[in-house]
Amino acid sequence: MATLFTLNFVTPRATASLRDSTKGSPIKVPYLNQPMKRVLSPLESRRMQVRAAPDSLSEKVEQSIKEAQEACSDDPASGECVAAWDEVEELSAAASHARDRLKDNDPLENYCKDNPETDECKTYDN
Amino acid sequence: MAVCSAYTTQSLNSTCSISTPAKTHLGFHQKQVVFYRRSSKRGGSGSGSGSSSGPCVITCSAGDSQTVVIGLAADSGCGKSTFMRRLTSVFGGAAEPPKGGNPDSNTLISDMTTVICLDDYHSLDRTGRKEKGVTALDPRANDFDLMYEQVKAIKSGVAVDKPIYNHVTGLLDPPELIKPPKILVIEGLHPMFDERVRDLLDFSIYLDISNEVKFAWKIQRDMAERGHSLESIKASIEARKPDFDAYIDPQKKYADAVIEVLPTELIPDDNEGKVLRVRLIMKEGVKHFSPVYLFDEGSTISWIPCGRKLTCSYPGIKFHYGPDTYFGNEVSILEMDGQFDRLDELIYVESHLSNISTKFYGEVTQQMLKHADFPGSNNGTGLFQTIVGLKIRDLYEQITSSKTAAPLEATKA
Repeated sequence: MATLFTLNFVTPRATASLRDSTKGSPIKVPYLNQPMKRVLSPLESRRMQVRAAPDSLSEKVEQSIKEAQEACSDDPASGECVAAWDEVEELSAAASHARDRLKDNDPLENYCKDNPETDECKTYDN
Repeated sequence: MAVCSAYTTQSLNSTCSISTPAKTHLGFHQKQVVFYRRSSKRGGSGSGSGSSSGPCVITCSAGDSQTVVIGLAADSGCGKSTFMRRLTSVFGGAAEPPKGGNPDSNTLISDMTTVICLDDYHSLDRTGRKEKGVTALDPRANDFDLMYEQVKAIKSGVAVDKPIYNHVTGLLDPPELIKPPKILVIEGLHPMFDERVRDLLDFSIYLDISNEVKFAWKIQRDMAERGHSLESIKASIEARKPDFDAYIDPQKKYADAVIEVLPTELIPDDNEGKVLRVRLIMKEGVKHFSPVYLFDEGSTISWIPCGRKLTCSYPGIKFHYGPDTYFGNEVSILEMDGQFDRLDELIYVESHLSNISTKFYGEVTQQMLKHADFPGSNNGTGLFQTIVGLKIRDLYEQITSSKTAAPLEATKA
């Protein structure tokens, strides 16, 4: 697969070299003035529509449930349906473990676990 | 701790050669000392058979004695599960993920124990399984050969590079180094599926959760998750059921101890799943494992501790103990239905149970209180998990003391 031509990530210095390499037509680089607005090349926008990457686990769970429901609407006994629901189960378990991990994330406790000798963490039991 | 075992070799004449094998069954860190004795007979000193006047080879290994391997089969996937935390706490210390390694590692390490998640031996990652239409429960998604090789290696004292299955991304990550611990726990869906792995286990446990309880627990776990509804949870359980019944459930019959969790019988028509009836099914005749019993071993007892000496709140506590057969094996079943509300109920029950392998009076209660925030700390699940943890400690001590005793006997002879 051809690598995506990084027209999007262009610095002022590179602009000069690019201008030289192309046939002389001016290159529109709207980023430099408005970095928020990203103009997607056709290839990149097609990619993003197909695979919207969920960054958090909860979104992954939600998406996997939707996919499982779609897969099972055709044939509830097929391998795809079963595998899809298995994925839902796996992601739900991972999400619940992540939630538990967040629950007991006391910064002081974590620090003291690794550095029990520091002033904040010393305990005098006897 | 060094373990030395002495071997005598059969020799026909006084001069003989002993080939020092490059790798003996002990694996690593070997040092061999060979003593030659003259062929003149000493005339019946000590034991007769076996002690011929030939040279003896004494092999000492500086490495640790053989690792004790425990298998735990449970459905919910691997990780920081409550049973593991209780088990490692019985040995002392908390189990932590390996420091400085992959943050999504499933392994837990404490001073005495290392817990390995068998999901790390998936041969297909999430996309692979989706393409083939198989679940993680299916044996086709797991590499049993690698599992066997690595568990065998760790058991004989050799460190291995174990792959990591990342549950967040669903991919197989680069391997991590696992050094042989004193106790290795392999936890997952298929610890007893493969016969070769089963033979390596010193003790095996199966957590059997009934369908109603499983449904109630999954609802509690997943309803907080956006996107899940009652229907989706139900559909997920039903879709996995055929594979579960075909591949995971049959492992029950191989387990040395089964913890079965059922809905309570004390509350009619209860569907909340808060009060549980838990049965500890212990196989008879397992080496180094003596089942827990109530009052009189081998008889059938029904016991309600609440009465004059102990007052309990609704729905109370009910115990049952008796011998039975389970999949053709002789077992003893200890059953508890109900909940603990107060400390004195727990200590009262503990004082009436026998063969719980505690080192001091009240150890079970102390362990349960130490982790009072864990789920199941007020019912049979926490109680039996703690008791099984103590039994495993007892088993470990018996195995290690028998290993040091045997070589001593050999050197005496």
